[in-house]
Amino acid sequence: MDALTGWWDDYLWGAVVVGQVFVCSLILMIVFGLLGAMAKISNSRTAQKIASAYTVIFRGTPEILVILLLYFGSAITLTAIAQIFNPEIRFVDVPPFWAGTIAISLIVGSYATETFRGAFLGVSPGSIEAARALGMSNLQTFIYVRIPEMWRLALPPFGNHMLSLIKDTALISIIGLNETMFVAKQAITVTGKPFTMYIVVGAIYLGFSTVVTLAVMGLEKFGERTTAGAK
Amino acid sequence: MTFDIDLIVESLPLMLMGIGITLKLLIVSGLLGLMLAVCLLLMRISGKWYLSFPAQVYIYIFRGTPILVQIFIIYYGLPQFEAVRDSILWPILREPMGCAIVALTLNTAAYVSEILRGGVLGVSKGVLEAGSALGMSARQKFIYLTAPIATRLALPAYSNDVISLLKSTALASTITIADMTGIARTIVADTYAPYEIFISLAIVYIIFTFGIQKLFGAIERYLGRYTEREG
Repeated sequence: MDALTGWWDDYLWGAVVVGQVFVCSLILMIVFGLLGAMAKISNSRTAQKIASAYTVIFRGTPEILVILLLYFGSAITLTAIAQIFNPEIRFVDVPPFWAGTIAISLIVGSYATETFRGAFLGVSPGSIEAARALGMSNLQTFIYVRIPEMWRLALPPFGNHMLSLIKDTALISIIGLNETMFVAKQAITVTGKPFTMYIVVGAIYLGFSTVVTLAVMGLEKFGERTTAGAK
Repeated sequence: MTFDIDLIVESLPLMLMGIGITLKLLIVSGLLGLMLAVCLLLMRISGKWYLSFPAQVYIYIFRGTPILVQIFIIYYGLPQFEAVRDSILWPILREPMGCAIVALTLNTAAYVSEILRGGVLGVSKGVLEAGSALGMSARQKFIYLTAPIATRLALPAYSNDVISLLKSTALASTITIADMTGIARTIVADTYAPYEIFISLAIVYIIFTFGIQKLFGAIERYLGRYTEREG
């Protein structure tokens, strides 16, 4: 344990980076998931096709490949675009934080698409008809009836998606994000204690997963507070 | 920026040379993981706390940490201890391939045992009561009633886990294994053509995913052949 002296604050900052990636990718993941789900349940054939292609591609490709493609690919594309305006630019550096965040939220968003789609379809038609009968507009029905009923159905699988996001942040270290895995790598070159250093990383991730799991359990309880009597 | 078709034609055969290693990782750790998962399942449903508690801790740890961290702990971390280097397991843990298989096996077992448990919990009480009424012992009920029904119930979720395992095999490339992803990363490092190489490799993985889905669909239909009439 002596080997860890002096590395704790590096690990702390690494954990902060993991938290930042998690929050940003969570927001993006919800956006991608909702867009995908809405496209899938829409009447437009094109939107349905695009959404299916999205889920097939991102559910069938290894995460690391998506991250590498987005990171190196966007660097090349942005360099090419930048050279149009200023031919002297040799290379545009893409921040691994955003390349990685977008990559993992696209991946997990493809799973969330299916979850949200199922949850939207699970809202009982009776509730929607009741809302109509009360004279609610489409928007009102969406906000007051569909969303509250739908998120309760989506929550258990959605909790798993959040866990995937947390665990996928570790992969972003491959493209050089300075999160906990990266800290461990540096610490190992100095101390020569790989087991100790990676166990700390594991413990940090286990902590994150535990917090997310507990939060989801709490939200599930909260969601059921009005329906508990109905069962 | 151009999309170089010739480069794909040139490098696709090179990447496909890694298919054997990818398949070896998938099949060996898939089968070993399934065996370990069944052991974990039996421990969890044994009803004895000294068996079910360790299984629960195991599942909690392996599902709560990223697979990349697990691979690194096993490959880089374990050799820190002299006891590991002297043990009979050293010939396996010395090789990256052995480490990758051990890590993937341990990881997938945790997920699969939860899937199997879901299947076991899904077996209806009536069937088990009927078994008791016929004078079956607990062991007979498990072998002739619970196991076949639970297998059928768990199969759709299990096929998803096999797909995740396929995607996880790509992480073996981080510990110097030349699987399809490993070879692709080498080619990209040489040619700096991430779009061509990674996209064509992604298509190969998507085809694999599709194949796994079809295979499990066929197995599901075969196992469900008695239930079709009930529709």
